[in-house]
Amino acid sequence: MMLSTENMQNPHPHYHQTFAGCLELELDDPNATERWAAELLRECATAISENDSGKLHHLLWMLNELASPYGDCEQKLASYFLQALFCKATELGEHCYKTSLAVAERWRSFESTRKVILKFQEASPWTTFGHVASNGAILEAFEGEAKLHIIDISNTYCTQWPTLLEALATRNDDTPHLRLTVVATVGMGGSVMDEIGQRMEKFARLMGVPFEFRVIRNLTRLDELKYEEFGLREGEAVAVNCVGALRRVSVQERDAFLGMLSRLLPRVVTVVEEEADFTSCKGEFVSCFEECLRFYTMYFEMLEESFAPTSNERLALERECSKSIVSVLACDGHETGDCERREKGRQWCQRLMESFSPSSFSDDVVDDLKALLRRYRPGWSLVPAEGDASGLYLTWKQEPAVWACAWKP
Amino acid sequence: MAGEAISSSNPPPAKKKRSLPGTPDPEAEVIALSPKTLLATNRFLCEICGKGFQRDQNLQLHRRGHNLPWKLRQRTSKEPRKRVYVCPEKSCVHHHPSRALGDLTGIKKHFCRKHGEKKWKCDKCSKRYAVQSDCKAHSKTCGTREYRCDCGAVFSRRDSFITHRAFCDALAEETARVAASNMSRLTSICNGNFSFTSDLMRSNIANNFSGAISNTTMTEAEMVGHARRELSLWMGEGDHTENLSKRNDLLNPHQSKPLSTDDLFGNPFASRYPNQLSSIYSDELTSNALPTSRMKETENPQSLLLSVPSRSSTQHQHQHQQMAMTPDVSATALLQKAALIGLNASCATPLSCFETKSQECNFRFLSNSSLLDVNHSSLATLSGNTMDNSTLPNPLTRVYPTRHLMIQKDDEPGGETRDFLGVDAPTICASSWNGWV
Repeated sequence: MMLSTENMQNPHPHYHQTFAGCLELELDDPNATERWAAELLRECATAISENDSGKLHHLLWMLNELASPYGDCEQKLASYFLQALFCKATELGEHCYKTSLAVAERWRSFESTRKVILKFQEASPWTTFGHVASNGAILEAFEGEAKLHIIDISNTYCTQWPTLLEALATRNDDTPHLRLTVVATVGMGGSVMDEIGQRMEKFARLMGVPFEFRVIRNLTRLDELKYEEFGLREGEAVAVNCVGALRRVSVQERDAFLGMLSRLLPRVVTVVEEEADFTSCKGEFVSCFEECLRFYTMYFEMLEESFAPTSNERLALERECSKSIVSVLACDGHETGDCERREKGRQWCQRLMESFSPSSFSDDVVDDLKALLRRYRPGWSLVPAEGDASGLYLTWKQEPAVWACAWKP
Repeated sequence: MAGEAISSSNPPPAKKKRSLPGTPDPEAEVIALSPKTLLATNRFLCEICGKGFQRDQNLQLHRRGHNLPWKLRQRTSKEPRKRVYVCPEKSCVHHHPSRALGDLTGIKKHFCRKHGEKKWKCDKCSKRYAVQSDCKAHSKTCGTREYRCDCGAVFSRRDSFITHRAFCDALAEETARVAASNMSRLTSICNGNFSFTSDLMRSNIANNFSGAISNTTMTEAEMVGHARRELSLWMGEGDHTENLSKRNDLLNPHQSKPLSTDDLFGNPFASRYPNQLSSIYSDELTSNALPTSRMKETENPQSLLLSVPSRSSTQHQHQHQQMAMTPDVSATALLQKAALIGLNASCATPLSCFETKSQECNFRFLSNSSLLDVNHSSLATLSGNTMDNSTLPNPLTRVYPTRHLMIQKDDEPGGETRDFLGVDAPTICASSWNGWV
């Protein structure tokens, strides 16, 4: 549904009055104002799906007035979702996404990436949860092995590995040799990975762990990854670490991708994903929107409570989300760059069951995770998966946020 | 020392001197207990009712309660012979009677720690221990300890400290700094005599270690690893065609024999424990060969220490002691590993490398090093230097202002290509050396 820009300047007076009236009424009710962004955004999404251009104009105008990426949680959500809804309405999703990618690339640097991610890990267990669980499973699977090869397909820029290197150095009497192959898609900034690689090498030297580092780059998307690229060697034990990775594979390629991974004959595959479902609702805009809003509301609130109010790092993390939201809501599936369609743990389990079987985390790992959560602010807890799903959930205020699971052949 | 302990059987000496662990009195009786016995918690059994106790004192207290006739009340005559205990684990260094431990509790703890299962876990950080008392002791300090990185950041959590350290610029700078300071040592070394060298290198190592230490978390192995790394990086550097002539006279003469790796590194343990020297590099070194107390020895040469960058100078003493007392990990194991790895990495012919490398202990060298290429981005932010011929902003003037100031003190005329020591002739070397101290 195309919107002309003239209409934006002069919203239909009738609707204007109506909505203004509605808004005033809402403002009197304290409960209603708390989630004003959700209400407006929902109306907007409905308007889009119903092709109601007049109403849509209005809502977009109002949201534009109220939204701000520098305000409170509601204003932020309004801002980022407004952008996505606008793109959807004007069919500019692909263009917007590409532009965001280009801008992000331009401003990305080792220092800024490092700062943001390390600060995030200080403030919240969102990523460290997955790291601790995965490292625990990997170390246990590698017990007794002398030549290790970890294939790392993740979005945390190798921040998972220093603690693993330290554990390798101190836990065993004979330190094994570790090869780390990192898969970096184009969107991950080539020069940043080089710098990271050098730091990893230095650190491994410091720890006294024989170490080899390699980056597989020049992949537009993860689906392009082929078995041959990994360069497996004889006698080495392989582990595949997928943190925030599987969701970046195109939906229709996911099963094939997992099949490819199983051909690597890994001792363990560790999977960490955010708990949201943007995949099964792909065809239905409104349900997709609802799920998106639910997840990002939780995420933004979590960020707000974890960081200081004026944190630049939090701002950077929020901005990262805008790309995902645009991609999910306004792009059609011929995605350039990384896909962002998350699936829930249960769904991933179904896919993974085709090629792997679940391996539960040991009591030691669970203890480590509990100890980890104790070091952060309250609100976080650990919940084991139930029913047909396996793995562990990190929950924020009782809502599942991140899912971690280990698999073996 | 050992003799004292056995001869004083009547009035106990005012203070029993503690011998080194695992160097027992040669006349003591050697006891080898089984693993089962060592792990058992209730070894002391009452012969009357069969109740078990962890300590002999507790058993005796209990026995009094049985109202035994006086004769039997005395303990079965304790052998006056001192007992020492060996570890049943064959691969352990304490397995051999010459390295037996003198105390029953000691051998039990040793066996649990080294060869036992780690059943006890800290609540806060879930670190695991085999001996309950170790775990309790750890719990007291867990979470209260602070980890400080060279860059100034402080952490209360070990995992965030480790992650930070891996990505910290201080790690990269440190490599540059240590490489540079090693350079300066070397030019003077080649000038002076070698006995001074080994002490100097030892103190150099201590310097670099202390600079790298942050509140006990940097272990000895890391430091040795550091030093070895520096040398290997050094060795691996490319050619330098600048101004060899100035430096050649410093370097060429007096080389009666090639410097061994030990001399260069100033193996801290070399002169102290000649027997142990080979063990550091040998494969059969077991985890107990280098108890941490030995690191204390390196505190002595501090009087010889050259002044180092101001930011670490105040921390030497304190950090040495801390480092010696509480290594965070199995330091001996790490040390062993680092030694083995470092040996493989380091160059076989150190001398030839020095001749080409260390001509000017100066920034041009560093600016050409591939190591620093990595850090150009951070170097670029550093302030420019006063050296005309440097192509890069000199990291060292920025990081070590005091060092640079000392160079200026020497009042060199026309200081275009100043080297580290602000000299360009061997004779002045000694005085500017003093200028350092």
